[in-house]
Amino acid sequence: MHYERLALDLVTLNVDGVECRYGSVKVLEDVSLSVKEGDFVGILGPNGSGKTTLIKSISRSLKPYRGTILLNESDIYTLKGVEVARQMAVVPQDSAISFGFAALDIVLMGRNPHMTRFQMEGNKDLAIARKAMELTNTWHLSERPINELSGGERQRVIIARALAQEPRILLLDEPMTHLDIINQLEIMDLVKSLCMREKLIVIAVFHDLNLAARYCTSCLLLKGGKIFSTGSLDEVLTSENIRSVFRVNAIVKKHLVTNSLFVLPLSPEKSSPAKTCSIHLVCGAGTGAALMKLLLDEGYSVTAGVLNVLDTDFETAQFLKIPVTTEAPFSPITEKTQEANLAMMSRASTVVLTSVPFGHGNLQNLETAKQALKNGIPTIVMDEVPIESRDFTGGKAKELFSELKCMGAVFVSNQNELLQWLNVSEEKAKTAILEKNRILSHLKPGSIPGSTERK
Amino acid sequence: MTQEEIEKTYFQRTSRWKYSIILLVLALFVTVIVSLNVGYAQISFPDILAILAKQIPFFGGLVDSSLFLPRDAAIILQIRLPRIIAGIIVGAALSSSGVVYQGVFKNPMADSYLLGVSSGAAVGASLSMLFGAGFSILGLGLIQVAAFVGALCAMFLVYNIARVGSRVPITMLLLCGIAVNFFMYSIVSLLEVIAGDSLHSIVFWLIGGFSNVLWSQIWAVLPLIVVGTVASYFYSRDLNLLALGEETAHNLGVNVEKVKNRLLVFASMVAAAAVSLSGLIGFVGLMVPHITRIIIGPDHRILFPASIITGAIFLVICDAIARVIATPFASTLELPVGIITMLAGAPFFIILLRKKKQSYAL
Repeated sequence: MHYERLALDLVTLNVDGVECRYGSVKVLEDVSLSVKEGDFVGILGPNGSGKTTLIKSISRSLKPYRGTILLNESDIYTLKGVEVARQMAVVPQDSAISFGFAALDIVLMGRNPHMTRFQMEGNKDLAIARKAMELTNTWHLSERPINELSGGERQRVIIARALAQEPRILLLDEPMTHLDIINQLEIMDLVKSLCMREKLIVIAVFHDLNLAARYCTSCLLLKGGKIFSTGSLDEVLTSENIRSVFRVNAIVKKHLVTNSLFVLPLSPEKSSPAKTCSIHLVCGAGTGAALMKLLLDEGYSVTAGVLNVLDTDFETAQFLKIPVTTEAPFSPITEKTQEANLAMMSRASTVVLTSVPFGHGNLQNLETAKQALKNGIPTIVMDEVPIESRDFTGGKAKELFSELKCMGAVFVSNQNELLQWLNVSEEKAKTAILEKNRILSHLKPGSIPGSTERK
Repeated sequence: MTQEEIEKTYFQRTSRWKYSIILLVLALFVTVIVSLNVGYAQISFPDILAILAKQIPFFGGLVDSSLFLPRDAAIILQIRLPRIIAGIIVGAALSSSGVVYQGVFKNPMADSYLLGVSSGAAVGASLSMLFGAGFSILGLGLIQVAAFVGALCAMFLVYNIARVGSRVPITMLLLCGIAVNFFMYSIVSLLEVIAGDSLHSIVFWLIGGFSNVLWSQIWAVLPLIVVGTVASYFYSRDLNLLALGEETAHNLGVNVEKVKNRLLVFASMVAAAAVSLSGLIGFVGLMVPHITRIIIGPDHRILFPASIITGAIFLVICDAIARVIATPFASTLELPVGIITMLAGAPFFIILLRKKKQSYAL
């Protein structure tokens, strides 16, 4: 888009201590936000946290009960509708249109704030509308009635209309709800490039944390109508914040390819009843990561070892706060760590061996498992991948494997079988504990019938 | 496509608008002339044209008055022309308010009687027919005045019940309109039950028609209708934006509540004025905007004037039919035009709808 403006014509938006109410219900409380040209602010938060309300109050639709919203130093609620509309465009959440206007007509309506009451659209308006439609890849739809377009096409036309307003501020209220992945990326790329090239202010509500992480320069995390956290993505998008705001356990990491943060939701924060059994995992190279989470979710206490620092399983264990015996990166297991591991293992009620590949670096882990079995700890072997194909020790691992089998290790072929087996032993353990308690209670002097009479 | 070609195709559409308006005006003129010819007394087209030409200021002096009989001039000017003009005015008024209501409410069921106009007018008219004597104000009979006052009262009632603070939510308006309409019609039914001799005239008024329309009555309602319609037309681009939803219209700089309030007041005033002239003529305000939208598209800048002229043409034709259709059976019997609008309009509309049903929206 070609904006005709002076170099010093700076646009700022200041939201200061805004409180919004629907009737007497507070939906937004003490929200402040200051944005300048070129900022791309993401508004994040769960349903009902006040994201849309904030957009509404910024777009002059819901006058705040308290606080001010200043556009270039003037309160937007004292400005005229058209004056604001010349500077600010809004892409709403839902854009169903019941009349059969042609797409081009819809985009031309974006020119309304720049036209006088009886003016008809001129060449300039048409050129601007066309440019906007080409940018959003909707020009080929220009003659089609808007109500015949698909959701994604329609949303792109609506975005073109917003661009035809030649705004300095673009408010997007979950604009990607109707779009598929390619459309999402294309539109967000476009918005991002406008934000950078034309120094647009973009304020967008996101449901998709990854999309937010990829495009925003800063963000605002809302919880229950209040700002929970604000600042750069790194500061706001942490797994702790996500857990406390969305009540979801999530991994947040910098992605190697996109070099932006990515959020992987794992599970809703839930508390399965804690189990009595504890499990020690012999794993590595990512074979234990999924199992760690699964077992934790089931309520087992989990330990793991020996893992090399920086191994995928190590990082997962760190994230899930699982105790681990560790060895330095890319180093073979020393005797000392092996002993530590054995100690950890003997505190567990079951040892689980994942389908980890064995090399000379981690062969000792198998030895340890053998030791555990000798000490009477039940050992389960996940036999998902044949040992032949993951034995890099010239047969030694295979040998140890058959020894384990002889000594009574249980071989299971998938996670479900493992869980079944664990359930059975959990039940046994519970009965054993109940039995023990019963016996203990009989032995207690106070509980013997008649003993109270002696007093 | 080059930019020039795009501009050309786009502006071709706007010039198409001009042609369709010119075409519609011509069609209206032809309809008027033909319909002046329709009636019990046979008056030829040259005579009709001469009589009309005689009425044009300055130019009229050049027309030789021996070309036509004074009796024919009286029939044309005092009997047929007022009816036809009334038909034009009422058709235009009902369609214009129908377009506005459908645009503001984004509801295909909205018509010019939506906000209680019809039922309020019906109560007023019935009351005056039952209890009123035959006096008149400003050339208007008591029935007309009572109908107009009744319509405005009902409308203000609906509007104020629906109002929440300074906002008027669309759904509230629709529901209140329906509720008040039911309430008022039950009063009308009550009046009909106790009406006795006046029952016939109440029933006729409720169907609507133009028999016995006088010039004085036309002059009385015309200013209201012209002012209301022209004022509504100023907002036709806002109506386009309102079609995108109130929120969007607001974001595009429309002062939604103000525009909505004004449009509703204008449209109701226009409808009330029309009703007071003709009684309750159904179908026009509901269907003419739809018919025009199917043919010409949803842009209110053309839809609005096109609907007005279409409504006028439609009602003039219907009235002409109403005048003559019963003559073979009884030469003095004349059907109320309201029956014809529905009998002729409904099938026509259904045919159009079926043809376009895939793409028609609203």
